[in-house]
Amino acid sequence: MATLVINGISRNVDVAPDTPLLWVIRERLQLTGTKFGCGVAQCGACTVHMDGAAVRSCQTTVAQAAGKKITTIEGLHPQGQHPLQKAWIAEQVPQCGYCQSGQIMQAAALLAKNPKPTDEQIVSAMSGNICRCATYPRIKRAIKRAAGV
Amino acid sequence: MATTLDRREFLILSTTAGIGLTLTFALPGAVRRAAGAARWDPSPALTIGNDGVVTVHITKAEMGQGVGTALAQIVAEELEVPWKDVRIDYPIADPKYGLMLTGGSWSVNWTFDALSRAGAAARLALIDAAAKEWNVAPTDVVAEGGTVRHSGSGRSLSYGQIVDKLTITKTFTEDELKQITLKKPADYTIVGKETPRLDIPDKTNGRAKFGIDTFLPGMVYAKVAYPPTREGAKVKSVDDSAAKKVKGYVQTVVAGDLVAVVANTYENAVKARDALKVAWDPGPYASNDTEKIFQDFAKKLTDDSGSKVWVEQGDVRAGFGQAAKTHEATYMTDYVAHMQMEPMNCVVSVDNDGVYHIYTGNQFQTYAVGAMGAVLKVDASKVRLHQAYLGGGFGRRLEPDIILETAIIASQVKRPVKFIRSREEDLKRDFPRSATVQNVKAGLDDSGRIVAWESTIVATHPGPRWGPDFVDKQGLDQFALNGADHVYDVPNLTVRAIRGDDTGIPVGYVRAVAPNYTFFAVETFMDELARIAGKDPIEFRLAHLKGAPRLARVLQLAADKAGWGSALPPNTARGVACVSAQEKKTPTWTASVVQARVDPQTGNVRIEKVVTAVDCGIVVNPDGVRAQLEGSVLFGVSNVVKERVTIKNGAIEQSNFHDYQVLRMNEAPTVEVHVVPSTEYPTGVGEPGTTTIAPALSNAIFAATGARVRSVPLLPDRVLKAIQTKA
Repeated sequence: MATLVINGISRNVDVAPDTPLLWVIRERLQLTGTKFGCGVAQCGACTVHMDGAAVRSCQTTVAQAAGKKITTIEGLHPQGQHPLQKAWIAEQVPQCGYCQSGQIMQAAALLAKNPKPTDEQIVSAMSGNICRCATYPRIKRAIKRAAGV
Repeated sequence: MATTLDRREFLILSTTAGIGLTLTFALPGAVRRAAGAARWDPSPALTIGNDGVVTVHITKAEMGQGVGTALAQIVAEELEVPWKDVRIDYPIADPKYGLMLTGGSWSVNWTFDALSRAGAAARLALIDAAAKEWNVAPTDVVAEGGTVRHSGSGRSLSYGQIVDKLTITKTFTEDELKQITLKKPADYTIVGKETPRLDIPDKTNGRAKFGIDTFLPGMVYAKVAYPPTREGAKVKSVDDSAAKKVKGYVQTVVAGDLVAVVANTYENAVKARDALKVAWDPGPYASNDTEKIFQDFAKKLTDDSGSKVWVEQGDVRAGFGQAAKTHEATYMTDYVAHMQMEPMNCVVSVDNDGVYHIYTGNQFQTYAVGAMGAVLKVDASKVRLHQAYLGGGFGRRLEPDIILETAIIASQVKRPVKFIRSREEDLKRDFPRSATVQNVKAGLDDSGRIVAWESTIVATHPGPRWGPDFVDKQGLDQFALNGADHVYDVPNLTVRAIRGDDTGIPVGYVRAVAPNYTFFAVETFMDELARIAGKDPIEFRLAHLKGAPRLARVLQLAADKAGWGSALPPNTARGVACVSAQEKKTPTWTASVVQARVDPQTGNVRIEKVVTAVDCGIVVNPDGVRAQLEGSVLFGVSNVVKERVTIKNGAIEQSNFHDYQVLRMNEAPTVEVHVVPSTEYPTGVGEPGTTTIAPALSNAIFAATGARVRSVPLLPDRVLKAIQTKA
């Protein structure tokens, strides 16, 4: 049994400590905004925040997450009105949408640390997140819109 | 029970499902009679509620192209309903929707007319009901903004009030539907207007539901033990004694060559599957590899073995007789994987009546339902295919394989089964775009005009695997050849096709399909011919596009916007390509200029900028078109700079995004899109942009270095070799 604090709510889950956080979030707690893409930290679709930093939940075990503050896309903003979420709509970023929770969580961690990133800093922070629809130009525009740069 | 379909099963499938590529999307013509009720269904395309809300039923898969919004715009335009009152849903597959197939950049092209008429017919029926109620002539009643109004008396009723209170009796025969006068493009208020996509808000907050987000009460998780080879392996024995000891183990399923284990959670299912001991006979393809396949294809090309004439115009032999110069080149392209972000997955629940509820995102519901009949002997009336959002399609979700495997497992487990492939399984079980070898030969007369053109394409054709309706009388799949029948003015042209069968690698349709490789050959070869003729590549193309003025126009536009001919730094150059993709009879005229920098020491290529111009007829959703063009162009960039599936020991060698790399943000060039205003009938934009990139980049590399690279992807070692060996 592990206790996880996800989106401000403490939850007990009966899983082995080496279980990837991703599968607990998605398949146990049914917080399905976090996506499974590769399972090996190559694509970023499963990105969540752990104590404010972007982590790949497929490579984070329940043991590592216990006691930490976990935030998923569902908890980024109570009404889904985070400046990035608004910018994502304004720029009409998503196509298939599958990677976009991870993209937004990655970008949110960037802006929390660096509110006015340069283009290079945006590209550097975001290049671990794959979008097969290649919405990259719009992701970049949306981050800049949200950051006001 | 086999999980792959043999030819006999395909015949059954084709017969029972009535699948044929000659079928086009059609909506039954009659508007049904309805009395005052909570809702009115004027056609399978839409429902109007007594609250005035119009729900357009989207029978095309939403995989990122924004199709739901575009199709709803088409209906709303003719229905005269305010956009704020429009909703969309994705109904369970049903024969009443006609052929349920999403691909080929066909969605708007196939449905624009039918959906326009469905909207117009509903409007006319509402007007008719109000006119009868008021005892006035329907011609004196107009519909606007979701309300009908009598011009003489000023009386009005909202659509919701009509549905709620009146009896709607007007129906239309197919002929009457065809005779409805549709609006002129100049009068459009919704089509062609900036309209935010309806699916986007839920894709920013985690609420959008993909197939993988399905949960059913009592659901268990399946994992399949796949064979070591992609095709042809047979199960020799299965030992599940260790699997049974894994915590949460539920059941082992062995059905023919499908071996699966079911457990209470995903991770326990993985552990139990990994504990299975399956002995395989790897089958006839166990020693096959990429090199052998290409050698075989090259030999077939040399021997001209099994070649069929696909297109013939004029007399190519006589044409070569008139030629002052001839040129010949051979091109090759590697296998390419789909790598859609959402790994293939499915949930199947069999209810007490034997009805199979299938939850997934699928591009070809008609075929999937037919395949359930062919493989599981489940009648179409017992299949409910619940459509979810697709986490990328790109052609991968045309295939019914994941549905069939999950359904077979669920049929034995008697509980709802969720099956999620890992990324590794997803890639190893992909149906990649075929590897190809193509030869092109042409003759130029004294003035530099093409007088003869002859090409031969060796490729594995997906069609034969899909069934007899997917090949022509010669056994050729046109979707393995489209594009080779290019639109340049060539009096004598022959295109031959050779099927590269028996590779052990079942190929499928990957975004932009054959035109990816056919236009690579055609458009690179055009560049080579231009050089031989001593002409500028744009001028040379324009001189051969008198019969395709719309293509000439976008070519000129792309050239102008890209600053064609202006100076660039050393080792940096532009290349161009223009195409009539996806199909010659319904082309989206597309041209791209790629600007690239080549490092002559390493062969590394950096695409700096792509300028794409397109004429796709009427634009339904302008930003949707721009988004599709940006994405399709960058998909092409990804394909051409790095994507390559290789085969070893009869299996796909790559396994995940580390060894099958796709484009990331740091590699994405600037993409500039120019859409030509048009009132022509609309064509699709999901794919044509993709097909321009490989040839345009190859041509840019030549312009920068004088080296011609004829193998896609244009990998650094290939570029370097071309530079080192150039004449």
